[in-house]
Amino acid sequence: MLTIKGCIQKLGDDVDTDQILPGYAMAEPADQLGRFALAGATDIDFKKDINTCRVLVAGKNFGCGSSREQAPLALKQAGVALVIARSFARIFRRNSINIGLPVLVADIYEEASPGDEIDVDLQSGEIILNGKRFETKPLSETVCRTLQYGGLIPRVRADLGLDETVE
Amino acid sequence: MNRIEMWLAKAAGVESCKAGDDLNCRVSYVGAHDVTAPIAIDQFLSIGVDRVFNPERVFMVVDHIYPASTANARRNVQKMQEFADRFGTHLFAQGEGVIHQVLYEYFDVKEGDLVVIADSHTGTCGGYGAIGVGVGSTELAAAMATGTVDLEVPEVVNVLLSGHLQPGVSGKDLILYLAGMLGTDYLTDRGLVFSGPGIKSFSVAERMTVCNMGIELGSMITLFGDEQPEEETIRTIELDLSTLEAQIALPFSVADVKAVKEVAGVPITQVTIGSCTNGRLADMEEVYNVLKDHRVADHVNLLVFPASRSIQNEMDKRGWSEVIRNAGGTILNPGCGPCFGAHMGVVTDDDVVVSSTNRNFPGRMGGVGAKIYLASPLTAIHSAVAGKIVTDLSEVGSC
Repeated sequence: MLTIKGCIQKLGDDVDTDQILPGYAMAEPADQLGRFALAGATDIDFKKDINTCRVLVAGKNFGCGSSREQAPLALKQAGVALVIARSFARIFRRNSINIGLPVLVADIYEEASPGDEIDVDLQSGEIILNGKRFETKPLSETVCRTLQYGGLIPRVRADLGLDETVE
Repeated sequence: MNRIEMWLAKAAGVESCKAGDDLNCRVSYVGAHDVTAPIAIDQFLSIGVDRVFNPERVFMVVDHIYPASTANARRNVQKMQEFADRFGTHLFAQGEGVIHQVLYEYFDVKEGDLVVIADSHTGTCGGYGAIGVGVGSTELAAAMATGTVDLEVPEVVNVLLSGHLQPGVSGKDLILYLAGMLGTDYLTDRGLVFSGPGIKSFSVAERMTVCNMGIELGSMITLFGDEQPEEETIRTIELDLSTLEAQIALPFSVADVKAVKEVAGVPITQVTIGSCTNGRLADMEEVYNVLKDHRVADHVNLLVFPASRSIQNEMDKRGWSEVIRNAGGTILNPGCGPCFGAHMGVVTDDDVVVSSTNRNFPGRMGGVGAKIYLASPLTAIHSAVAGKIVTDLSEVGSC
């Protein structure tokens, strides 16, 4: 469940949340944000239909700026399955996990090209990129558990005994 | 322990803690605004609890898109009103001001209180010694339900200040200088504490400006300490304030910083002065002091937006508002104003802006090509009068 396979779209350093989800779209209904995903990005032509290439690979400080949770929601609704970056801004990283969008810190930026095939195991931290193996720090047990529930709220409901627990 | 560790340990009810520890901390105040509250409310309701942890400690503020520019924006306010009615929480929805200023003016926040707001500029309360942590909507929803938040204790960097600021240099110049030195992510997952005898140079308002922008360097928690160096930190950065000049961040990064004199002469089309960063009374006074003797340049659009109603009332009472308007400025209602490109001063790709706000990302104020320079209110108002970026008005005669 916590393995993701797909091909890559690539972004640069310091991709901020205004680029991921511009200010003019912040008041839109929270379930209709996918069409605004990366609408303000300056360095790629983001393909909204990303059934095939649904893994984003970025440089440092991905998701910096505003705390708007609409940013990771827009990426998730647009079909992004995983974001891998050299580093993430703290609030974006936590927001992503909390809404069930996996984000992983790994330094594969130089090796990755748009369209490359990638296979990621979030629990072990193993990445296969173009047949080559990389190791990175796996996601913590808590983060994996949150992702298995699809986000923080369903996890909290299970913790409170309101829903069944996921094995 | 340093002071961040000390306050986090207190909030968690443990005797001590160190960097890297995971703590479950009790929160003192929990807040959200009209961009983050609607999702937080949905998430809170889907948890399925029937009350917030303490209605007196939960507040929501309509500051980002007020008055509503779209029906969707208005719908979000209605949702906040329904929530406040149902759960008995505080709602500020009548133009009281920006959430961080509302917290300061309406609540009795104590030194070391843990403030959790669904907004990245929550660190602002570090200007008066509180621990501000910015979160997203879902984490905020969980905090409303439980009264707690899970935090990892950050490593702390100490900026040790000595000397006195030169005239015309302010807290904004200090934090821009540090952004240029440290970059946008050096402080990610870290804390930042200002201490040393130099902190006496800064009023509480200026300290709030400095802490407001800690997040632009990635900082998790930013605050002012006391005149003694902070203990148990990973790095000490010593800075003699008397060497600090007026600073400006160039498009499109808060960390691309130069002395204002290095970019003097760049023609500009819009100046925005206000926001949670620099919309307090002392900032408005800089604008008034210049505009009582000068006019805004013909081709410059000057937008002034005080951080709160009480600040605007004081501007009115002192006659500043009339002076600013008659000199060519437009005063907007208190709030976030044009800072983030949703309304009230949206720019085109051809605009060049000098702003006292906190971000100059591509598209931040509208057009992706618009060039935004970030500076102090003093540099901004001087530039508005000159019609170009300037260090002072020595080249411009008075009117």
